[in-house]
Amino acid sequence: MNFFGYGAIESVEILLDGSDKRKKVRHKVSDSKSSEMCIYYDGETVSGAVSVNLKSGAKLDHKGIKVELIGQIEILYDRTNVHDFTTLTKQLASPGSLMQSKVFSFEFPHVEKPYESYFGSNVRLRYFLKVTVGRRLTDLTEELEFVVHTLSTYPENHSSIKMEVGIEDCLHIEFEYNKQKYHLKDAIIGKIYFLLVRVKIKHMEVHIIKRESTGNGPNMYHEDDTIAKFEIMDGAPVKGESIPIRLFLAGYELTPSMRDVNKKFSVRYFLNLVLIDEEDRRYFKQQEIILWRKGDVPRRSAAKGIEESTQRFGA
Amino acid sequence: MAEKNVENTEEQERLLDEALQVVKMESFHMKRELDKNKLMDGLKHASDLLKELRTSALTPKNYYELYMAVCDELRHLQSHLSDEFQKGRVVSDLYELVQYAGNIIPRLYLLVTVGVVYIKNKPEAREAILKDLVEMCRGVQHPLRGLFLRNYLLQCTKNVLPDHAIDESEKQEGPPALQHSIDFILLNFAEMNKLWVRMQHLGHSREREKRERERQELRILVGTNLVRLSQLEGVDVNSYRKIVLNGVLEQVVNCKDAIAQEYLMECIIQVFPDEFHLQTLRSFLKACADMHPRVNVKNTIIALIDRLAQFAAREEDSGIPSEIMLFDIFSEQIANIIDTRSGMLLEDVVSLQTALVKLAFKCYPNRVDYVDRVLEATMDLFGKRNMDSVPNGSALSSELYNLLEVPIKSYNNILTVLQLQCFAPLYEHLDYESRKRIGVQMLVNALEHHTLLPSAEQVNSLLMLVSPLIQDQADQPTDIDMDDFSEEQGLIGQFIHQLYSEEPDQQYQILNKARTHFEKGGNKRMIFTLPAIVFSAYKLAVRYKELSDEDERWEKKCNRIFEMCRAVINTLCQAEIAELPLRLFIQGALCASELQFENHESVAYEFISQAFSLYEEDITDSRAQLAAVMLLISAVERCRCFSEDSHAPLRTQCAHAASRLLKKPDQSRAVAHVAHLFWSGQITEGDGEPMHDMRRVLECLKKAIRIASQCMESAVQLQLYVEILNKYMYFYEHGCTGVTMELLNQLIKKIREELQDIEGNEESSMIKVHFENALEHIRNHQQSGDGQYSYEGITL
Amino acid sequence: MVLVLVVGDIHIPYRASGLSPKFKKLLVPGKIQHILCTGNLCTRDSFDYLKTLASDVHVVRGDFDDNASYPEQKVVTVGQFRIGMCHGHQVCPWGDTESLAMLQRQLNVDILLFGHTHKFEAYEHDNHFYINPGSITGAFSPISSDVVPSFVLMDIQASTVVTYVYQLQGNDVKVERIEYQKA
Repeated sequence: MNFFGYGAIESVEILLDGSDKRKKVRHKVSDSKSSEMCIYYDGETVSGAVSVNLKSGAKLDHKGIKVELIGQIEILYDRTNVHDFTTLTKQLASPGSLMQSKVFSFEFPHVEKPYESYFGSNVRLRYFLKVTVGRRLTDLTEELEFVVHTLSTYPENHSSIKMEVGIEDCLHIEFEYNKQKYHLKDAIIGKIYFLLVRVKIKHMEVHIIKRESTGNGPNMYHEDDTIAKFEIMDGAPVKGESIPIRLFLAGYELTPSMRDVNKKFSVRYFLNLVLIDEEDRRYFKQQEIILWRKGDVPRRSAAKGIEESTQRFGA
Repeated sequence: MAEKNVENTEEQERLLDEALQVVKMESFHMKRELDKNKLMDGLKHASDLLKELRTSALTPKNYYELYMAVCDELRHLQSHLSDEFQKGRVVSDLYELVQYAGNIIPRLYLLVTVGVVYIKNKPEAREAILKDLVEMCRGVQHPLRGLFLRNYLLQCTKNVLPDHAIDESEKQEGPPALQHSIDFILLNFAEMNKLWVRMQHLGHSREREKRERERQELRILVGTNLVRLSQLEGVDVNSYRKIVLNGVLEQVVNCKDAIAQEYLMECIIQVFPDEFHLQTLRSFLKACADMHPRVNVKNTIIALIDRLAQFAAREEDSGIPSEIMLFDIFSEQIANIIDTRSGMLLEDVVSLQTALVKLAFKCYPNRVDYVDRVLEATMDLFGKRNMDSVPNGSALSSELYNLLEVPIKSYNNILTVLQLQCFAPLYEHLDYESRKRIGVQMLVNALEHHTLLPSAEQVNSLLMLVSPLIQDQADQPTDIDMDDFSEEQGLIGQFIHQLYSEEPDQQYQILNKARTHFEKGGNKRMIFTLPAIVFSAYKLAVRYKELSDEDERWEKKCNRIFEMCRAVINTLCQAEIAELPLRLFIQGALCASELQFENHESVAYEFISQAFSLYEEDITDSRAQLAAVMLLISAVERCRCFSEDSHAPLRTQCAHAASRLLKKPDQSRAVAHVAHLFWSGQITEGDGEPMHDMRRVLECLKKAIRIASQCMESAVQLQLYVEILNKYMYFYEHGCTGVTMELLNQLIKKIREELQDIEGNEESSMIKVHFENALEHIRNHQQSGDGQYSYEGITL
Repeated sequence: MVLVLVVGDIHIPYRASGLSPKFKKLLVPGKIQHILCTGNLCTRDSFDYLKTLASDVHVVRGDFDDNASYPEQKVVTVGQFRIGMCHGHQVCPWGDTESLAMLQRQLNVDILLFGHTHKFEAYEHDNHFYINPGSITGAFSPISSDVVPSFVLMDIQASTVVTYVYQLQGNDVKVERIEYQKA
């Protein structure tokens, strides 16, 4: 945790106000680890307290104690590319001495948090509070990360995605998804209608692909990750068959779509309709969808639950 | 699971075993997690065991085994979930949660399982969930897996489908709950049928037989939908007619698959009640017309007719509602079907007609016109197809035979069969063997049921129908089985006695008519048939005599009868037989003699003369000659009708014939026989008194002895002597005084002497006994004393 | 107890189409030990039918029988009785008692069975018994009017024979019983 094996300071802790009442979420801190963090929204005040605990009888001489609220984007393959897009500072104590443990309150009022916390393959965006205790030789720092979610309310009129695709004389399908924009607890409702089938289809899947793009211009780097593989059809259909799609996004680890965050990275989502034939050849059609985060939905009634979980296209 | 279908049974067993092992293991884990109330973990294991059903490697039979094992486990899951629901410990959004599963097979099986639990505990959600389940199953387009999935759906929802037309507990607005159930099942049925039909076209054409076999194994899965429909109590005949049947038939007709159509039509018949069928015949039969050409609709229609016929037989009073013109409907629709399906084989067409006729019998036994209509329709069809005569041994021959046999066996009265206008023309189309068999059937039936044919027309019609038995046919085979032939002719002979009218004049017409038919039969047949005609004629003559008070022309009629008989017997002589005609003449003479109609003496004389001619010209075998002579003598003895002018030549003829027999013993016996003629024979001048010509009697007996003494064999001689002795005794006891005691003693002495010389063997001891018996007889007479003939003076 | 069926003058198919069903019902296979037929079957079919009723069947030749191998006369012994059989057309005059007696003496029999007249008779004459079973089909005979279908069943026990005659009068079967004791 810290190297306070020697010296006056026992520990430094950051505590957020009202954290017991605040919504929390498990968020990755490393590839293998995740922890529970508090969720903050844009414009919310971030307040709390820093507690500096001294060893008994110890005295701390410092050059000043401050707390910062930092929003940071880190491009992983390029360690030099760490950009703090937000830095807010509050001075907690001017240089001096502490005779005993002390708790300092802080408040960052109405903080702008323009972007959502994101832990990706090649880029991380995170928000954290950093306490710095200035000392003669080395400064002492302590961090506390918190998660920011960006909420949207998109207009309710959703137009569907409808398209006809095919391979001449081989396969013609018409697919339709009920919306272009889905919130993270939404369900993709759609159907696939077969106009011409001359290949021996083994099965059909819908993949959700996350594309993380970092860098710009000629240095743009994309990384695709298949988040979901959802089988929607088993076996070979014939012309005229209509196959229903109902894919609940809540079952997957998804983030909202992010477009050109701080001009540094983007996260986009695509639906990939994949048909596999008897010879394992694949035919696919990709379609971008926009994912957004909805404000907390009230707990739905059982009846509403049934209604939503039995939605079918055109039903 | 992209493995190719593995055919090897060992391989199959192995795969099945492996899959079952996995199921068992996952099930164990699932149950453990559920017991700990760890639902999500339990569902994960359930999902894993369901993954085994994703396989493409198992044959339908083995997949079924696997499926059954999986269903057992799902039942456990379902009842656990149900319990949780009851206790109020339900995981919210369970219906959504199970849809997170990535593979569609586990997902849908779980969805159905959970869905049914929801329905049971939240009836308000029933409609939405049922509709959802049946729609979402579209995701499985693989025929085998899809069929079993939908079967699972059907089985699970068995007890939760709303049944009654108006679900009182819900008081729903809008279409009644029953409609939803019907729609649900019809949709599931349509989808299952589609999948089932699709199996026909998967894979290589050389594997078609195997695929069809597999399809047959799976048919019950599709049929279960129909069973479920029939189990809806709320479906009455109206909703059946307007909604259910139409929905089913639409799918059946449109799928254009022979296997499906044949099975499903049969299923409909079996599964729904007869009352429903009665009200929907037209729709059903119209659908039959639209079946795929490979479907043999005849089987379907016959199955339906049989069922309805049984229904009519069971329900004695209510039966077929009178407003349903069952026969007309079937008749019209079958005609339509035959018209539409031009590829239908003629034998199948006939098969349908047979079913129709059987229907007529079962349901409308009094409507002979119905049967005729069917026969007429068949005639027309034969005409349209230019079918003149049916090939022997063909299926068509067999079917046509069956058709024609029905009226015979159903009416059990060939007179009614004769009323069918179209029976004979249709019969003419048959091949020889079948025509003969029909003929035999008719005769056998008439004899069994003692049916009499009382008019010449009917006789004529019938004899036309049995003509293969009576006359040579253009198409008959060259070699004939003699046993069969005799049997058939015997049948005809017997049958002749069924030709009978209460009206004697009509009877004469009948016999005349019959005779013209039989005389064309050829020599082999006449032997069997003409004698019966002759005897029937004799019997008719007797009837005329009995009714002589009522008919002043009876004597002329009798004459005509005997004239006919004479002609017939002469015809019989052309068959190169003599013994039988001789006897027929004798019988005729005796008959005429008794009846005493005008001219009867000439008739009797003529008949006896003819008999004599036959004897002289055509009987050459010595045994036959003896028999003939003896018969002639006895006959003349018995005839009471001859005047001396007629009787004398006959007596002479008898005596001549007797003495001209070749063998001495025969001569002796015959001559001895003639003695009776002179004794008990009568001439009309005698007024009923026997001739008692003693002189001639003694002449005969003496001659007989003389001839006997010319026999070489002493045993034979002795036998004759004893016989003649007995004859002497007979005449003595009957008042022939010419038989003196001296005569008798002489003969007795002679016999005694010969007896001593004869060799002792069985034959001679028989003669001895015979002799002793004769002496015993004399002794008894001597001892009894009373009576005229006391044999006084006989030395024993 | 030995049951002997005496039948004759069947005349199928020349003069009759078949036995009355009422008679057929009474003639059950396996109950009768012997069948004695006075002749005029006339064909193999009638013989085969008799064979179905009992395996021991004896036939004498009638004037219309087609099988020349039937004997003109036959003697069968059943129990204590010698029974003679002859169709009777060979006897002159037909049906004459004394002429039949001649035959009885010749064959040396206790009972003489005969036919030809199609009239049932059963009588004792000179301490011997004579039976004519009549025509079982009621066949036409020119010398007998109003022929009634009939047959006879003899029950032979020791020295007694009880004769049952079955006659079809109208639609009913009437049975009479006559007893004969051997002298």
